[in-house]
Amino acid sequence: MSQTEISITGEPISDTTCRFTVDRPVYPDKSFAFLSKEAAKDSPLAQRLFEIDGITRVLISHDQITINKSAQADWPVIGKSIGAAIRAHLATDDPAVSDAAWENVPSSDEIRDHVQQVLDTDINPSVAEHGGVIRLIDVKENQVFIQMGGGCQGCGQADVTLKFGIENAIRAAVTGVGDILDVTDHASGRNPYYTPSTK
Amino acid sequence: MPRVLLLLPTTTYRTEAFVCAASRLGVDVTVASEQPNTLAQLNPAGLLTLNFKDPQKAAQRVVEFSTSHRIDAVVSVDSQVVVMGAAISAALGLRHNSVKSAIAAQDKHRMRQRFKQTGVPSPQFTLCSLDEDRTTLAGRVGFPCIVKPLSLAASQGVIRADNQGQFIRAVDRLEAILKREHGTSTASDTSGDRREQSQVRPSASSRQFLVEQFVGGSEVALEGMLTRGELHMLALFDKPDPLDGPFFEETIYVTPSRLVAEMQEEIAQCAAQAARALGLTEGPIHAELRLAKDGPSVIEVNARSIGGLCSRVLRFGTGMSLEELIIRHALEEGVELPERQSQAAGVMMIPVPRAGRLIEIRGLDEAKAVSGVEDVTISAHLGQSLVPLPEGSRYLGFIFARADSPEAVEAALRESHAQLEFVTEPFVDREDGRTPQSVKSTEAV
Repeated sequence: MSQTEISITGEPISDTTCRFTVDRPVYPDKSFAFLSKEAAKDSPLAQRLFEIDGITRVLISHDQITINKSAQADWPVIGKSIGAAIRAHLATDDPAVSDAAWENVPSSDEIRDHVQQVLDTDINPSVAEHGGVIRLIDVKENQVFIQMGGGCQGCGQADVTLKFGIENAIRAAVTGVGDILDVTDHASGRNPYYTPSTK
Repeated sequence: MPRVLLLLPTTTYRTEAFVCAASRLGVDVTVASEQPNTLAQLNPAGLLTLNFKDPQKAAQRVVEFSTSHRIDAVVSVDSQVVVMGAAISAALGLRHNSVKSAIAAQDKHRMRQRFKQTGVPSPQFTLCSLDEDRTTLAGRVGFPCIVKPLSLAASQGVIRADNQGQFIRAVDRLEAILKREHGTSTASDTSGDRREQSQVRPSASSRQFLVEQFVGGSEVALEGMLTRGELHMLALFDKPDPLDGPFFEETIYVTPSRLVAEMQEEIAQCAAQAARALGLTEGPIHAELRLAKDGPSVIEVNARSIGGLCSRVLRFGTGMSLEELIIRHALEEGVELPERQSQAAGVMMIPVPRAGRLIEIRGLDEAKAVSGVEDVTISAHLGQSLVPLPEGSRYLGFIFARADSPEAVEAALRESHAQLEFVTEPFVDREDGRTPQSVKSTEAV
């Protein structure tokens, strides 16, 4: 594969975060976050990226790589090194994320048990105040599928409850959880707690 | 990692878009609403409750909060939190519109006064009170005119009158709407409205209203971003459905505009002049302008982005959403603003055809299957009480389309809408045994 043919677009999100979109999948249909250089030791792409001065976090997701860095270096400067590291990796047959990186992730059954416990003890007693309920539908690898019912189904604040309440509580209590996906048919909600209006 | 404070009213349509944008950007977020989230105790750094009725108290609360969780930017996602966003930003020393300018953009009378003082082309107006004799009032306003509340949004309470009789009836109707909005809900609009109590209105608006000269001509909406007072136009939407009254139902928005480049430039200059007149300097604006015979006339400028779910049709650069752009702009001064993706796009706000309780929606699959239509989202829920304009403030849903030309987008939106059928039943208990009313969506437009 010719490295010069690879197109990578960098979108600085802030002084410390930039998202790089590659014109081809880097880690097809999967994602993995490396929170330290130590965690990246068996994964060649993340390893290359952590070799660049100032990199603090690497999230690899399908065709996007989101990088966090310390505030000193400018993105236009550091971005060239990041692009070169991604191109160098794509020139090899190495996986973006090694199997070893996944070894520290709990099994689906373990995740399922822990998530159910969080729902039962921390989340559902609280959302019941608004007539809501959160159900665990499935766990595939480390992806968690939940469904919102009662007052949460179709609620205008469902996304806030999901992202800042449910996700936060699950991630704090259960290690190794990947995406948390809401599979609710919100359009069919009959009694949402909050209904949007233009007021 | 920088932290953004999203001021998110519990009833806003904008929740998903802003939460999704913040998540995509990977920034730390604190969401502040006027009602406590049921899971607030599980995430005190992420979920905050503020008194939306008192911007200064809210600002004080955020200053205390920021001692443990530094806030780098404040984003007001909807009209009702624009003043509060300015007050919080001022207290934190963050780049934002001034409180004075936010108040001017929020109050339609102050806005009109600023426009008049600074020569911004806009309709002539008179501030009136519900306590004045309506026949006397009718004698001093010109016809045709528009009766308009000072602070409601999305054309709620906006009524055209062409003569004295219509004027008096319009004011009577507006009084009933304001009474309901500032007081208790009526029997016809109580379904699912636990949040009516939380709505915020400036008290000055409760007995006052505007009477404006009706300006004929087509209407456009401009979406823009202000940086240090300079306006960057993000998108210009044509509104192909005539807005001649008696009520002013928003339906179709299509971008890019089909107007000639010179007129688009004139509109942008007019909107920039209006923003300057209000003193707005930072962040998104949404402006509505009429294209009168002698040029653009500013109907209003809001210190927020486009409402409802309409922003979904806008994509920038490599696919960035409007909300991502707004958050990035709030976090970083001088951030580059990518251009809107060039393909024509449009949205239709599905209007409420008549009052009643929604019991069935037909034709949704057919509406989604129309060529060019990306999605049809029904935001009303079954069982919800539907209230049309001028009393109502909700849409049935939104149709989104993308195509090679604005004409094709508009045609797709109309065809999709024609597939939809909304079955309602009256609010009151009936003893006559009549069947529920089925309304083809096309009857409403």
